[in-house]
Amino acid sequence: MTTIAPRRRRPIDRENSYGPIRVLVGVLIALIFSVPIYLVVVNVLKPSSAIFSNPAALPAPPTLENFISVLSRSDGLFWNGLINSTQITVLSVFATIILASNCAYYLARNTGRVTQVIVVLIVVGMMIPGASIIQPIIQILLSAGLIGTIPGLIIVNVAGAMPFAILVFMGFVRSIPIELEQAAAVDGAGPFRIFWQIVFPLMRPAVATVLIFTAVGVWNDFIMPLIVLGPGSGTTVTVGLYRSVSQYTSDYGAVFAFMVLATIPILLLFLFFQRYFVKGLIAGATKG
Amino acid sequence: MVVAIGTSTTDANQFRATVEFIGLQNYVRLFQDPAFLHALSNTVIIAALITVVPNALGLGIAILLDRAGWIFNALRAAFFVPIVLSSVVVSVTWGMILSDDGLLNSMLKNLGVADPPGWVSDPNLALYSIAGVICWQSLGVAVVLFLAGLQGIPRELLEAAEIDGAGRFARFRTVTWPLLAPVVTITVTLSLIGGFKVYDQVKVITNGGPGVGTTNTLAFDIVRYSVEAGQVGYGQAMATVMLAIIAFVSIFVLRALQRREVDL
Repeated sequence: MTTIAPRRRRPIDRENSYGPIRVLVGVLIALIFSVPIYLVVVNVLKPSSAIFSNPAALPAPPTLENFISVLSRSDGLFWNGLINSTQITVLSVFATIILASNCAYYLARNTGRVTQVIVVLIVVGMMIPGASIIQPIIQILLSAGLIGTIPGLIIVNVAGAMPFAILVFMGFVRSIPIELEQAAAVDGAGPFRIFWQIVFPLMRPAVATVLIFTAVGVWNDFIMPLIVLGPGSGTTVTVGLYRSVSQYTSDYGAVFAFMVLATIPILLLFLFFQRYFVKGLIAGATKG
Repeated sequence: MVVAIGTSTTDANQFRATVEFIGLQNYVRLFQDPAFLHALSNTVIIAALITVVPNALGLGIAILLDRAGWIFNALRAAFFVPIVLSSVVVSVTWGMILSDDGLLNSMLKNLGVADPPGWVSDPNLALYSIAGVICWQSLGVAVVLFLAGLQGIPRELLEAAEIDGAGRFARFRTVTWPLLAPVVTITVTLSLIGGFKVYDQVKVITNGGPGVGTTNTLAFDIVRYSVEAGQVGYGQAMATVMLAIIAFVSIFVLRALQRREVDL
């Protein structure tokens, strides 16, 4: 005897059987939307002379000379930028995770008027545009002797990333049952031990969200490295890209190659943490 | 630790407050300065365009792609790509596409257009070209947020509406749209604030030109005055005005939009 399980019908809007028109329209829009990316990917494999004759054509035959010319630049703009960017991103992300998770833990577990005021301040801090506080930042860094240095930029990045990170961590700490911590406290663990051995390991998904979100933000940031690092002491890949544009105005191939190389590291990280990135985007939006 | 964070967000504020009190005459100068008023109007145009266009398109695309299946996963991924790209990468790419002898015009010439427009060199067009670039870049975020919002709508409500005989459009108007209101609030507020902050794209694509100050935005002028030209007080007066506008607009819009949100 066969039993027929009641088939739960989903409403039309969620049905898996979609019309070919929907697919067609979707593909068409996605293709139009992706044209700029297509142009970069195709033209980076062409010699510059071939780009203008027909920008949309496939490279025939493809060449890697653009990449080689960027990687072997005599001023090392790309390699220096890559080293700086990696250093800045890794240290900023690391410091943000450590500081923000501690703060968020404290704020989530100690409710009171002071906490509320701090949380409001943090939300306000998220909304302040970088351009409008650039002058105070410069002043503070000048008086601390950190202007034009990588540590100075890292401090600015961490301060900028903190509000979002704290909010994400706070939301997550609230979902951890407090009984775990109480049990550990009964067993004689101090607050730091409770945090590092019990709470922090549980926060892994939140850490992943903060990690990818901060990393993408810091890697892609333009205005802070442009102004804080200044023209003197090297720069990041993002600013390096901007500088390289003014140098080879007509050498589109080289600029495209620089762009692709500058994007690959963060793109790989993004693909690895994609799920958490979207989560962070939604979290950031609903809390900002 | 907590105090350190508290001051990290307030410190800059306090600093700005002291600057404010010193330079009141900066504000008088500011509102008599045609260049500032021009930057203000540029900023408002950009903010309006990037609030309306990506969100309207994003909602449409999210509804279109809110389906299961690998093909829709792939299509959604196509719209996510620019999210991870730096504004500089986006701006440089578009700069090369839109410049006078850039990729778009090369293609137009190949198609036989004798005199293609100067997308970023025509003072009447440049501002809209920049707004278009930002729309392209921010569309992905709108799609992500609207998709998340659509997935948060309980199926039972849509089923109930369907049983009651509501057609596709009626279901959207009576169920989906009211329940999406919180997402609309968020995306509209975020893009408005984002619109007032625009700096990178202007700096990279036109550097405020063509000519003098045709595409400069508030953020661009703030940096130009307070960092590049050294007129710190004047630049900071601008920054304060910008902050006031952002605060005012976001509170006003939040209030207005939250009023139409419904509770489940």
